Amino acid sequence: MSLRRRTHLHSVALRAPLLLAALSPASLASQAQAAGTLAGTPIENTATASYDDGGTTITVDSNTVSLIVDEILDIAVTSADPGDVPVRPGELDSVLKFTVTNGGNGPEPVLLTIDPNIASDDFDPAAVTIFIDTDDNGVYDVGTDTLYTLATPPTLDPDASITVFLLGDIPATTADGERSEVELTGTAATGSGTPGTVFAGQGEGGGDAVVGSTGATANDSGFYAVVDATLDLTKSATVLDPFGGATQVPGSVITYRLTAETTGSGSIDNVVITDAIPGATTYVDESITLDSTGLTDTADADAGTFDGSGIAVTLGTVAGGTTNIIEFQVVID
Amino acid sequence: MKFLIAFLALIAPASAVLGNQVALDSQVFVERSAEQADGSVTVTLEEPTRVVPGDNLLFVLTYQNTGAEAAENFVVTNPMPEAVVFGEAIDSGAVYSVDGGTVFGPLAELRIAEESGVERPAHAADVTHIRWTLTEPIPAGESGQLKFRGIVR
Repeated sequence: MSLRRRTHLHSVALRAPLLLAALSPASLASQAQAAGTLAGTPIENTATASYDDGGTTITVDSNTVSLIVDEILDIAVTSADPGDVPVRPGELDSVLKFTVTNGGNGPEPVLLTIDPNIASDDFDPAAVTIFIDTDDNGVYDVGTDTLYTLATPPTLDPDASITVFLLGDIPATTADGERSEVELTGTAATGSGTPGTVFAGQGEGGGDAVVGSTGATANDSGFYAVVDATLDLTKSATVLDPFGGATQVPGSVITYRLTAETTGSGSIDNVVITDAIPGATTYVDESITLDSTGLTDTADADAGTFDGSGIAVTLGTVAGGTTNIIEFQVVID
Repeated sequence: MKFLIAFLALIAPASAVLGNQVALDSQVFVERSAEQADGSVTVTLEEPTRVVPGDNLLFVLTYQNTGAEAAENFVVTNPMPEAVVFGEAIDSGAVYSVDGGTVFGPLAELRIAEESGVERPAHAADVTHIRWTLTEPIPAGESGQLKFRGIVR
């Protein structure tokens, strides 16, 4: 139907508004959601006119134009990790965290797919699975959060977000500093494609579904970074004979030095350095030092022990970049 | 044809008791912009049945005095549908309500009381009703249009 082009002849000016009994009370417009008016919402427009007919005020209503708001399909996916997720070689079920948001105006099931095999990274995790943060606490809970399956995609309300966890196993062959990229894609179950694509009759409330600006699909990547450390142990000995020289004769004192050098971006737990006392020598009591500090032979608060056949120094957790020097002495029999 | 049908439907019951009749027709168009191959943008008007959030709507109110006498003190009031945020009035002289149709005035003179009790100037998004009052009678047989824009929330 074409617009009527005739210009009305009447000048329009401000004037005190008339009291109109026929005005229906209209509710104040509600605040719009970010996603917009909910799909299926009717928009009805009716105007009212009044005029005077020889002293009688007459009111007339216009016809009512009815429109229905269609469903917009918009999905957003963002990594929710603050940075690379540190993992160790061989670690199982390492967790990457994502946020999936329904930016549309109707409830929409979201299909989730993962790509752990990004070509440009250093390694690929194995056995990657998707879990939904069922209790919505932002933390993966074994036995509580539910495994995602294609048959039961989560349905997100308009403007709603969920947390999605990817669990992957880190290959034991990975080395310190290696990274792996894992991509999560979320797609509106109704469909996706070029913005503006219409899925007739498939919108919420029986209307159409229209692909929004996101294309109704989105992806983002999370990253694993292997944090590992290696320990190099080197041993050296110096000999002091009873005459102030370095000959190995009975009575000479041998000072053994164990240098434990930890390298890498990670740390090593439960490090214990042990060394047996060589034959034909006798341990010099209380001679253990750790980084030039003396340790007692008994098992007590300090890190050193001597059990009669060898020494042990418990270093515990050692971070990469640490060098520990352990010394002890024996006398040649 | 749609206009005529609506027009007749409105007129029929009134004509039995009234000496003059003014019919009011409401139409809503959606303005769709499309970029052409040469880079220009054309705007087409469609009469939709379905819209999506963000659609630009053009409301056209057409009045026609089909009676034998002039209609005086003609006032047209259009409540904004809840899902539509007011955009702009195309025809001058509109006054607005931001309180559900109780007080009307120029938008710049209207104020909104926030929940905190603080008042602020009203915005287009606050408009609940738009109204035009014609200063001159509508002569018999004459017609005119009043137009405004809105956006689907």
